[in-house]
Amino acid sequence: MLHQLVDCHRRQLLRVGGAGLLGLNHPHVLKAEDSQLKPGGGGKAKRVIFLFQWGGPSHVDTFDMKPTAPDGYRSLYQPISTSVPGLHVCEHLPGTAQMMHRFAQIRTVHHRMNNHNSAGYTALTGVEPPIDDQRLRESLDLFPGYGSVVDAVAPNQNGMPTYVAYPHRIADGSTTPGQRASFLGKRHDPLFFEEDPNAENFQLPQLSLPESLSLDRLNNRRELQQLINRQTERLEQSAVARGLSAFYDRSLEMLASQQIRKAFDLSAEPNAVRDAYGRTTYGQGCLLARRLIEHGVKFVTVYFSRSIGGRSKTDGGWDTHGFDNTRMYEILPEWHLPLTDQTLPTLVNDLSDRGLLEETLVVWMGEFGRTPKINANRSRDHWPKCYTVLLAGGGVTGGAVYGASDKYGAVPDRDPVTIGDLAATLFYSLGIDYNQEVHDNLNRPLPLARGQAVTELFS
Amino acid sequence: MILLPLAIVLQASARCQTPPSFRNEVMPVLSRAGCSLGTCHGNQNGKGGLQLSLRGQYPKRDFTTLTRTLAARRINRLNPANSLLLRKPLMTVPHEGGRRFSPDSSEYRVIHDWIADGMPDDSDNAPSASSLFISPPHATLQGSQTELHLRAAAVFADGTKKNVTDLVVFESSNPAVQISQAGKVTFPDSDFSQQTSITVRYLQLQSVCTVEHVPNRPAFEFSAPSPQNEIDDLVFAQLKRLKINPSELCDDTTFLRRLYLDLTGRLPDPEQARQFLSSTDPQRREKLIDHVLDTPDFVDFQTLRWADLLRVEDKTLDTKGVGVFYHWIRSQVASDRPLHEFAAEIIAARGSTYSSPPANFYRALRKPEERAEATAQVFLGIRLQCARCHNHPFDRWTQDDYYGWTGFFSRLDYKILENRRRDSNDKHEFDGEQIVYLQSTGESANPTTGKPAPLRFLGSSSQDLREQLGEKKDRLLVLADWFADDTNHRFAASQANRIWFHLLGRGIVDPIDDFRSTNPAVNPQLLELITQRFVQGGMRVRPLMRLILNSAVWQLSSAGNATNRHDEVLFSHTVARRLSAEQMLDSICQVLGVSPEFGGHPAGLRAAQLPGVRNGGHRYSRPESGDRFLTLFGKPGRLLTCECERSTETTLAQTMELVSGDLVSELMLRQGNRIDSSFDANESDDAFISSIWWNALTRAPSENELTAMKTYLLSSTDRRKSLEDIVWAVLNSNEFLVRR
Repeated sequence: MLHQLVDCHRRQLLRVGGAGLLGLNHPHVLKAEDSQLKPGGGGKAKRVIFLFQWGGPSHVDTFDMKPTAPDGYRSLYQPISTSVPGLHVCEHLPGTAQMMHRFAQIRTVHHRMNNHNSAGYTALTGVEPPIDDQRLRESLDLFPGYGSVVDAVAPNQNGMPTYVAYPHRIADGSTTPGQRASFLGKRHDPLFFEEDPNAENFQLPQLSLPESLSLDRLNNRRELQQLINRQTERLEQSAVARGLSAFYDRSLEMLASQQIRKAFDLSAEPNAVRDAYGRTTYGQGCLLARRLIEHGVKFVTVYFSRSIGGRSKTDGGWDTHGFDNTRMYEILPEWHLPLTDQTLPTLVNDLSDRGLLEETLVVWMGEFGRTPKINANRSRDHWPKCYTVLLAGGGVTGGAVYGASDKYGAVPDRDPVTIGDLAATLFYSLGIDYNQEVHDNLNRPLPLARGQAVTELFS
Repeated sequence: MILLPLAIVLQASARCQTPPSFRNEVMPVLSRAGCSLGTCHGNQNGKGGLQLSLRGQYPKRDFTTLTRTLAARRINRLNPANSLLLRKPLMTVPHEGGRRFSPDSSEYRVIHDWIADGMPDDSDNAPSASSLFISPPHATLQGSQTELHLRAAAVFADGTKKNVTDLVVFESSNPAVQISQAGKVTFPDSDFSQQTSITVRYLQLQSVCTVEHVPNRPAFEFSAPSPQNEIDDLVFAQLKRLKINPSELCDDTTFLRRLYLDLTGRLPDPEQARQFLSSTDPQRREKLIDHVLDTPDFVDFQTLRWADLLRVEDKTLDTKGVGVFYHWIRSQVASDRPLHEFAAEIIAARGSTYSSPPANFYRALRKPEERAEATAQVFLGIRLQCARCHNHPFDRWTQDDYYGWTGFFSRLDYKILENRRRDSNDKHEFDGEQIVYLQSTGESANPTTGKPAPLRFLGSSSQDLREQLGEKKDRLLVLADWFADDTNHRFAASQANRIWFHLLGRGIVDPIDDFRSTNPAVNPQLLELITQRFVQGGMRVRPLMRLILNSAVWQLSSAGNATNRHDEVLFSHTVARRLSAEQMLDSICQVLGVSPEFGGHPAGLRAAQLPGVRNGGHRYSRPESGDRFLTLFGKPGRLLTCECERSTETTLAQTMELVSGDLVSELMLRQGNRIDSSFDANESDDAFISSIWWNALTRAPSENELTAMKTYLLSSTDRRKSLEDIVWAVLNSNEFLVRR
């Protein structure tokens, strides 16, 4: 029963479990000619929560463990069983293990960018930059982030912002490109804030008026403004004036909107729920993501950390090189893994309990994985050649594993998935035609994604 | 009579005897059906396992792909109709790209016959097409006539001429105007004039045809303001032909604001404004134009435009370099240096970036390709970028053209005397002196051929200049001379068009850095005229600006009429636009009598006077509120040599900033600002309101406004706050925020 689906492009979806793992099941192989593949037509997802794991989590110490790899490669952590028979994850992710039947994994995501900024941009957009530049600069000739693309081609019609991103502007030396709309135009930038959702009086800064400025006073101002506008009636008809007027209305509407205020009001959550997500910036960020989705936001990006980190047990991202005696194996179980294990299953469970999971795609990924070989610092370095991405909800098949890495987790062994394929998969899940073109600042036609969706992941 | 059917049979069998040419028929058909587009099999990774060269630029390679690879599974020689190459586009088997043509189409016939005839390969020896003609090249359709059939013909190297209408791709620049693949142009049934340019592509050739439709306006009578100069003659002639009436001239207040904003980025000072508005001198507009062109504020604002384009930016040039380069540009602008000399000096520049200011142009452009692209874009109005990786799909530029041009820049290098950058991993950051110099060797190879392309000026078809110049010759000096030559028409036209764009908000060729045959000037005679006048004026900016500013066209009102309301490209009226970032911030500050704060600069500097741009981010402190405001409203990061980097769009985040943002709130509360001093001095309502209106809107408040504002103040419990509310309303009014 578990062995379903498979291949339209001579690729295989392996549903791990039972006899499947031993190769006793014979999956029904569909040929491309048999299926009516509709690109971009298929997804069930209406919304996306993108959890970006800045710094690059080790795939071989989390979801693609290689217990039979030789010393020097094999993780120092033990694999444990999960809710999917035959599937194992790291021992420090016991809560996640119990939820693995909700997650699909792609174990062969790969690209060619070894540096954080260029790899980060690649992971946030699905497009590799011209060179692997450690300080790749944000500029208009680079591609927009996923959420901005969604904002441009399939914006919300419900009065809520399409794309919200927080609580960090990620950077490695310079701001990582891919966090904004680039050539699509500033109007497609995310509603972005850096305020800490775990702070006591957290609220969206854009919605907080200076103390002396009440809503009443704002309305007075708007009335005076409109009175002056009426003096130049013919100007009011111009496109630019109408545009401005619409934005003023929208601004005041947002400031007065109970819906938006409510969406951002974490204090409305019971303490038990807030505690379940954990009283951390990232934890409350994940909870906020659920609230935003619930209130109609279409695409939410939560950045794990501001910096690539990797040296601290209390802060920062996944960049665990082991420099200066900061050993990866000591740090991960103290900081990254517990944080992940508290948030990831909680979020997916919560979405499921509220009936939101079917229509919400959750993506958990970093800019790359980490070297299969343990380095001299008993840690791991950058590895974009093959790493694991988790997906849940939005119509993906829970418990599925797509693609396989080799015995070290070094390169794809079967069914490689490019970063462009991953981007295509994301748009596909939302029912967006990823072959459609957008035009860059030089008017060059560019497809939304440079790859093919892994349609096999969707059931 | 009986012979007739026989003749048809003979013709049909004669056709069978000449198999379709792979290069000249099959390849164009694949293009025409969209197969070799970038979104389909022309993609760098292909699609569904089939990869063709982009828009068919490499016939040889595609021949092999189609006939040999994958054991020729795409072709069925014995039963051509059963070939995948035909079944896929017919969708008789699933095809992700959908149905591309029908079995009775010419596309089908060409491919079918070519397979049936044994797939002859003439990719090397077919006579190449040398020119492409479209007829008619220009057409004006009247009233109920909304359709036109176009024909395309190609001339081949062997002198033959052939009708290729069935083989070409047609594209319309105006989406409202349809073009069928058979070449039929259809205008929508509308009561306003439309224009389009139809691009025709055949193999590597492009040609363009412009078609316009004049609506049926039987009662139309042309009326226009009296022409002030030759610009008006040409613009009005086109409008008259299309039955469009231009708007009236704008009033003096609008003229005054428009002039100051366009030339200085500031608002007119109330005192000057009152003086101008009370003048009865018939020459007052002309005189004011001369006056403003002569102000230091004009120099600041014009320098800002060049600083954007020439990438005057702190991270790469460092603070000292920014200052040096900025002041050099400013001095060139101040003396109205002829632009060809300005360009030539930049192209020839080398030496220390501290003591030889224009060398900073190269300091910002670290690679030969970047220098070549930037030079083409800024000084020739050509976007060459596409041709870096493949022949330009919408233009004539080949990769050889690209690398032949890049060859001029390939020997330039840097001696980095010092680099105190804060981030040793940042290859874009330079802090310290550098020497720009030329190596004695160095070439840029065309990646497709692996060889350097013939060295040539862009657009020239001369021999390889290497032979003429020899190995030792300084190529950049040769290039600088080419720019310095005042007969360089391409240069002159691109610069004249840029000046036009800065004043009218839209180029005659638009976008202004996209000159190509397939993007024709909306009014070619007008472009030619301003180019000539620009050259006659010694390629100086001010004489051409003076000519444009004195035209009725520049002085037209933004209020449209029934005939011109839909026009945004023919200059029939002024298109209102939001103030730019600098204009807005400087104007707000001017009204409030305060100055904003920018990182690293003394107080008192206006936004339009900032030499560089803060591209700091992470390692630097958070940008100051002034810098953040400018970025929010579209000040470019100066990482591209494209006017398009400056954003003029309106966004929600911008109005949010104006409604409740830090900077505007802070400026309104700032001690000693105009509100503060009025409050302290107990100024009367009338005096305060009048002063705000004159400063912000260049006019007295209307009766209605005055009453309303005074009523508001009267009912207020907190006068200071109410004064702020009034100022806010003025600063957020359309009249203030929009240049019209």
